[in-house]
Amino acid sequence: MKENNLAFYLKIYFKIISQDIKSKMSYRSDFIISTIGMIFTNIAGFVSFWIIFRNFPSINGWTYNEILFLYGFSLISLTPVQCLFDNNWNLRTHVYSGDFIKYYFRPINMFFYYQSEIFDVKGLGQLAFGIGTLAYSWHKIGLAVTPLSILMVIVFIITASLVMIALQNAAAATCFWLQNSFFILDFVNKFRDYARYPITIFNPVFKFIFTFVMPIAFIAYYPSLVILRPDSIPLLSWLSPLFGIVFFFLSYKFWMFGASKYSGTGS
Amino acid sequence: MSAIIEIKNITKEFKVLNRREGLKGSLKDLFSRDYKIVRAVDSISISIEQGEIVGYLGPNGAGKSTTIKMMTGVLEPTSGEILVNGNEPYRSRTRNSKEIGVVFGQRSQLWWALPLIESFRILKDIYRISDDDYDHMISLYKSLVDIDELLHKPVRQMSLGQRTLSDILAAFLHNPKIVFLDEPTIGLDVSMKAKIRTLINALNKEKNTTVILTTHDMGDVDALCRRIVIIDKGKMLYDNDIEHLKGFFGSYRTLKIGIDGDLTAEAEKIQKEFPEFSVSNDDEWISVLVDEEKSTVMDVLGRLQASRKIKDMKLEEISTEEVIKKIYEEGV
Repeated sequence: MKENNLAFYLKIYFKIISQDIKSKMSYRSDFIISTIGMIFTNIAGFVSFWIIFRNFPSINGWTYNEILFLYGFSLISLTPVQCLFDNNWNLRTHVYSGDFIKYYFRPINMFFYYQSEIFDVKGLGQLAFGIGTLAYSWHKIGLAVTPLSILMVIVFIITASLVMIALQNAAAATCFWLQNSFFILDFVNKFRDYARYPITIFNPVFKFIFTFVMPIAFIAYYPSLVILRPDSIPLLSWLSPLFGIVFFFLSYKFWMFGASKYSGTGS
Repeated sequence: MSAIIEIKNITKEFKVLNRREGLKGSLKDLFSRDYKIVRAVDSISISIEQGEIVGYLGPNGAGKSTTIKMMTGVLEPTSGEILVNGNEPYRSRTRNSKEIGVVFGQRSQLWWALPLIESFRILKDIYRISDDDYDHMISLYKSLVDIDELLHKPVRQMSLGQRTLSDILAAFLHNPKIVFLDEPTIGLDVSMKAKIRTLINALNKEKNTTVILTTHDMGDVDALCRRIVIIDKGKMLYDNDIEHLKGFFGSYRTLKIGIDGDLTAEAEKIQKEFPEFSVSNDDEWISVLVDEEKSTVMDVLGRLQASRKIKDMKLEEISTEEVIKKIYEEGV
């Protein structure tokens, strides 16, 4: 019997996603309205950011353009959680209604099967906006564009996004035990807004929390330092890819453990 | 022939918190963990051969779904042993699910937004169905049911009947050795029920697929099952062929009549008139469980009508619940 390898999963994933996008586009007005909504959400987010930083040209030694870099970096690294793992928001409903049982009946990884079901196109606007912001600030700060720096940004963005995905997986999986788990997911999600600020502006208590308890500093701050402050990179920055992978793995295990404890509802 | 499903003394227990009443009680519940053990399935043993259609019956809460969840790998048995196609379902869920198909009542497992044909194509990839096998299966489906109009319809736009039909087709698509159907005809109209029964029968014949079916509908049992397993309160009551069981329900029908006056008093009077049948009543009806081997329903109705004015009447086939009650009362 053949094992299901990565190529197998990618093939199925792209099939599901392309069908899903196709069917979403067939509802034209819905598609157009949500696209417009997505553009306005991004503009509004950026405007509020811009108003704040116009008034404070530099914060704790961070210039406006550097903060912009951080902002763009966080937007990109928060895209995968938005696009690919959006079904975590529905986990609670599936679990309580008993519909979750259907994910046990296919010969593929349950976590994959569950997350592959929904692809949120709205996140792509955020991605475009993030790339634009990052490129603009990159240029303004005058950072060199080398193959190495591009590669590093890509690697650090991917591993940074794993941190947010891990937080969301873990928060969503609490519904296997808790009756009212929505507030946990919502709570975690609210914190991701803080990811776009340099952690040095927070007091030591929050600095500790955002690094070790709710590790959102790994979403943009620590990985960005590798590019922005190449002279004095803290150890935590180099460790951030490792953190991302470890957090993601643990959250996956936690999610699967929750699923194995699920007994379903009667029918 | 060796058994495809071999269940030996399985038991499933759930831990349930003893909840106290009122606000004070729930506060106490927060701190004390006072559990009781509920035995949903109590040492059941079944052995099922390839190609059988087995009706798995029992009242609500009897433990049917729990047993099916153990056979499909969702739940781990507390004790005992299950082998499905040589696999332990809970330990090797992925391997087991390649050889089984599952339809769980009204919960569709298809991709909600996609047309049926796209769901089929994704399943083809997931189960690694070869082109030949896939084409063969689709043409078999086309010869059995009218699926052309369904294939290009998104699942969410389908009626409940169409969705159930689609789910059953999807469950058989990878030609599994066993298909579990949990209440496949629930909520469907008569013609759809007939269509689905014909389909299940045909697929079972064509592919020699083992089918495990839970239902509350004696019509399903009559049309499909040659063997019946009945459980109640987690315990096995009956495991034998359908002819044997027909002795319990085949000749029985419930005659319900509506009359004026005190129904309880009237029911007692009727009971005296017909000591051989059991008579009961609720707020609306007086029910007489008639054994047609002793006298016909028409006969009973005629005698009842002679002495009182009957406003309304209806006739019911015996339900699973009544069969179980009779098995309890009289033994097998």
